[in-house]
Amino acid sequence: MNCQRLKDWFDERYDIAPLRKFARKKLVPSHRYDLWYYTGGIVLFLFVLQFITGMLLSFYYVPHAEHAHKSIIEIVTKLNMGWFFRSLHHWGAQLAIFTLFVHLFAVLLLKAYRKPRELLWFSGFILLGVSLFFGLSGYLLLWDERAFAAVKVATGGAGAFPLAGNFIKAFLRGGIDVTGETLTRFYAFHVAILPLATVFLMALHVFLVQIHGMSVPLSLKDAALPQEPFFPNTVYKDFTVWLVILGIVVTIAVLFPPEIGLKADPLAAPPEDIKPEWYFLFLFQTLKLFPGDILGLNGETIAVVLVAAGIFILFILPLLDKKSSREEKSPLFNLIGIVYLVYFLVMTIVGYFS
Amino acid sequence: MKINYSLITRRTFLNTLLGGWLLAFLSGSFLALFKFAFPTLGKEPDFVILKNVDDYMNIPPNSIKPFAWGGKLGIFFKRADGALVALKGVCSHMECNIAYKPEERKFYCPCHKGWFDETGKNIKGPPPKPLEIFEYTLEEGKLIVARKGVKVELPKA
Repeated sequence: MNCQRLKDWFDERYDIAPLRKFARKKLVPSHRYDLWYYTGGIVLFLFVLQFITGMLLSFYYVPHAEHAHKSIIEIVTKLNMGWFFRSLHHWGAQLAIFTLFVHLFAVLLLKAYRKPRELLWFSGFILLGVSLFFGLSGYLLLWDERAFAAVKVATGGAGAFPLAGNFIKAFLRGGIDVTGETLTRFYAFHVAILPLATVFLMALHVFLVQIHGMSVPLSLKDAALPQEPFFPNTVYKDFTVWLVILGIVVTIAVLFPPEIGLKADPLAAPPEDIKPEWYFLFLFQTLKLFPGDILGLNGETIAVVLVAAGIFILFILPLLDKKSSREEKSPLFNLIGIVYLVYFLVMTIVGYFS
Repeated sequence: MKINYSLITRRTFLNTLLGGWLLAFLSGSFLALFKFAFPTLGKEPDFVILKNVDDYMNIPPNSIKPFAWGGKLGIFFKRADGALVALKGVCSHMECNIAYKPEERKFYCPCHKGWFDETGKNIKGPPPKPLEIFEYTLEEGKLIVARKGVKVELPKA
């Protein structure tokens, strides 16, 4: 299986020598934080898994308010392996978003966002936003009571934005209320718009990583670090990690298939103790902290503006952190990073148990 | 017996092991994916139960009444001589639905101009086989149409 003639045919037409050279020369530094390098690759792998299972699920899913709920029940009860692939898609999404948060905070605390990698931070940050929207839109597709109520709350929260709020809300809902129109809209987001955005942003993200190489934490920048060839050493390690991740997600998918509630009824009260997915809990819990009325202003609006400001500051953090862009230690931004992490963890845990 | 030289190198052995393992892993994964992608839903039924028996039994001679054979067309047919026949209204050539031509007393498939006579025999055009004839029985006011040779067991209500 050498296929020399095929190789010659290709080489006569395309010169891939620079790519080969690049692949041979690519090195990855080894140090005590290099474990965090794997988080990006894990997300990549999980996204590929999500694309495969998602494409297959879309063969059978019917994006219509009358049939959506039933079509999922048919997928899990009547189709070959249907229960498994729905469960795999569910747990793959959970694990992908979890790993994305780990990746984000690792990059934040190791200051991998610093010059010259600002664009990597921006593209990754947008990818996280896209992924959360993936989660929300995919969740609505179940069209059960919980999904219905959760999307009502989430899109309603967007409506609390000053000025553009009502426009955003109406655009997301495709009307003034969450209806079948919202379902088809979220379906379009989930299977067409967001996947395209993801592929584009991910390609950009990975491409930028190739240009810059792996970031080394500030504390190690003067150390003589051993370098490991990317091919084949790191690749083999990546594959090994992915295999373990696949094992984990398959095991969870088999042991804990997600449930599906009763079909959404726009006229019924939402079920008791309704909570959003865990990755929205920190937002949900923050909004709960604010009273309905602050000095005559709408408390919800203030909360939403503050949350948006907090997220925006995190987004432009590479531009604010001047010291680390000069490769100097910047303890203030260590602290800021830790505050963000602790806030996220505490609010998620409080939200989970309250 | 001990041989002094190895038939394969260590590298070949490991590559084969890894390649074989990869092949097994990938084929297992793809098998599951393909099983999900190609469903066995929509299997043809072994029998169907029809209500409104009289609607089927009392059709005029030399006419037909369609019924649903799963997702396919079933035809209840009273010949000109009064004999009742249940058959699958699907051409044996490319599975188009057939039509009955009362004036010629033949079944006609418009897709490729295939003809079947009153007994379902293929007489002209491309169809390679006769039409599938069903058996029917009357039971407790219901009409049960079944594939030939199938033992019908009704669920106890």
